[in-house]
Amino acid sequence: MAEAQFRVDYPNSKTRSSRIFALDKKAAQVLQQISEAPWNGAHFLTVLPAKDGKDATDAAYLRLSHPDGSPADVFEELRHADVVILISCDTRATGTAEAIAKVAFANKTMIAGLALAEGKSEGVTNEVVASLRPYASVLVVAQDNDFVPAMLTALRA
Amino acid sequence: MLRKEVNDLLTQTDPGTPMGDMFRQYWIPALLSSELPENDCDPVRVKLLGERLIAFRDTEGRLGLIDEFCAHRGVSLWFGRNEEGGLRCPYHGWKFDHTGQCIEVPSEAPESGFCEKIKLQGYPLVQIGDVLWTHMGEKDTRPELPEWEFSTVPAEQTFTSKRWQESNWLQAMEGGIDSSHVSFLHSGGLNSDPLFKGAKGNAYNLADKKPVFEVTESDGGLFIGARRNAEDGNFYWRITPWVMPSFSMVPPRGDHPVHGHFWIPIDDENCMAWSYDYHPTRALSTDERQAMMDGHGVHCEYVPGTFQPLQNKYNDYMMDRAAQRRGDTYSGVKGIAIQDGSLQESMGPIIDRTKENLVSTDNGIIMARHRLRKAVTALRDKGITPPGTIVSHQKVRSVAKVLGPDDAFAEACVDDLKVRPGQKQTSV
Ligand code: FES
Ligand SMILES: [Fe+2]
Repeated sequence: MAEAQFRVDYPNSKTRSSRIFALDKKAAQVLQQISEAPWNGAHFLTVLPAKDGKDATDAAYLRLSHPDGSPADVFEELRHADVVILISCDTRATGTAEAIAKVAFANKTMIAGLALAEGKSEGVTNEVVASLRPYASVLVVAQDNDFVPAMLTALRA
Repeated sequence: MLRKEVNDLLTQTDPGTPMGDMFRQYWIPALLSSELPENDCDPVRVKLLGERLIAFRDTEGRLGLIDEFCAHRGVSLWFGRNEEGGLRCPYHGWKFDHTGQCIEVPSEAPESGFCEKIKLQGYPLVQIGDVLWTHMGEKDTRPELPEWEFSTVPAEQTFTSKRWQESNWLQAMEGGIDSSHVSFLHSGGLNSDPLFKGAKGNAYNLADKKPVFEVTESDGGLFIGARRNAEDGNFYWRITPWVMPSFSMVPPRGDHPVHGHFWIPIDDENCMAWSYDYHPTRALSTDERQAMMDGHGVHCEYVPGTFQPLQNKYNDYMMDRAAQRRGDTYSGVKGIAIQDGSLQESMGPIIDRTKENLVSTDNGIIMARHRLRKAVTALRDKGITPPGTIVSHQKVRSVAKVLGPDDAFAEACVDDLKVRPGQKQTSV
């Protein structure tokens, strides 16, 4: 194969620490389905609704869970993260995007936003995009949920 | 990174491969019209999708694109005599018409009907604008003729060139939608190239080197938006459409002609980089056309008599280290086209994508591969016609525009992103 002719198969990167956040219930369902595949150490995290009366934009009140339902701590999760991806299907989680972004920015980690448009109206998706835009240095609107594993594989998550 | 089997799937286009079948769904550029300038002119060798073909224009002006090799004993018909309504093999005189049908076998009596049994593979060749297009797939799946705006505007408004690139088509195409390289590789050219300089948008480009990217899907492919800071909290957007499998259009600058590309596989290790340059509403000026012919902008200079760039891998692309140190050019290579071509060829004939380390800003490329993969498997497994074959998918434009902070670019530019006959491109 031509491509193999001159590149020797030495590794050229170490494992990344990817943190993938589902900002709403629908996004959490999509992540749940793919989180079982073997990934390179990616953490899949679901954002739970803020407790009543708590400021959703304050990371101190952010409630996160792992796929098995055990709680996760946003500061701990982002401490060594290289890749942070926020996935959202609807706008309910606007405040939590800000909460996560503040922690990621403090750590100088960039954020990618992914809006899943499958089954959503254009209006809803545009609102999702607008809610992620202030925090994401790259934003993707995907029409089908299969893009999530394709993107995570491409990013070596 | 991309797994090896997906890399193979997307990069291999010979007959019988899934991606080869997908390319054969489209009308693709095969030759410049100027390569067959008159009836009975010299036949031209063309290799497309791994097939060696010969193009000719017969005595009556009919265009043919047929198997290069004579059906008798395999001689290249490039040596043929183009005369009296067909191409005659110089070895034993067999003659073929523009469809590849054998119309004369001198050794056999015409009454025998022998020659009717001999037919070379042939494809239609149609002139639209200054390009000759072909469709190499089945006749019953042949789509309507393409209507890309650059090839349908009057001749004085458009210019097309092509250059041979010694790499697989996909890495060349990916370069065309890789918006994040522009701030580096091409940073030297914005203020000097006659086909770019003077646009107000250039100042935004140079002032904000860290654009933010947004990728959305379109009917035919993608829109890739790059956003930079403008005045008063607004954003300067540059939007690149990509239409499957390999059309893209660079966002405009000022009132300069708009340009873009097609990348068409020659075989798995070579492609033809097509570059068009047109203005939707006015004739190109003499200076603009001259600059294009001289190899400025997205065009290049050639080894005389060929489509091989003058700066090529056999002369290290005329690398100028002093210019690189001074910062006149970022890579030391002159000219946008060869800056791209040189680096894409340097990846090797077919880049091993298992070794890449993509980052989030590569999402345009990630999404394009995803869509290609879905389209190619849908065609292979279910016979679904891929996006980009229908004319409405082809009627796209690139855009450069200043938008408010909360505008969704695809929505705010929905009309600007469409071809609007008689109306200028949306540009800053
Ligand atoms: S920095 Fe992108 S290929 Fe090297
Ligand atoms: Fe480029």
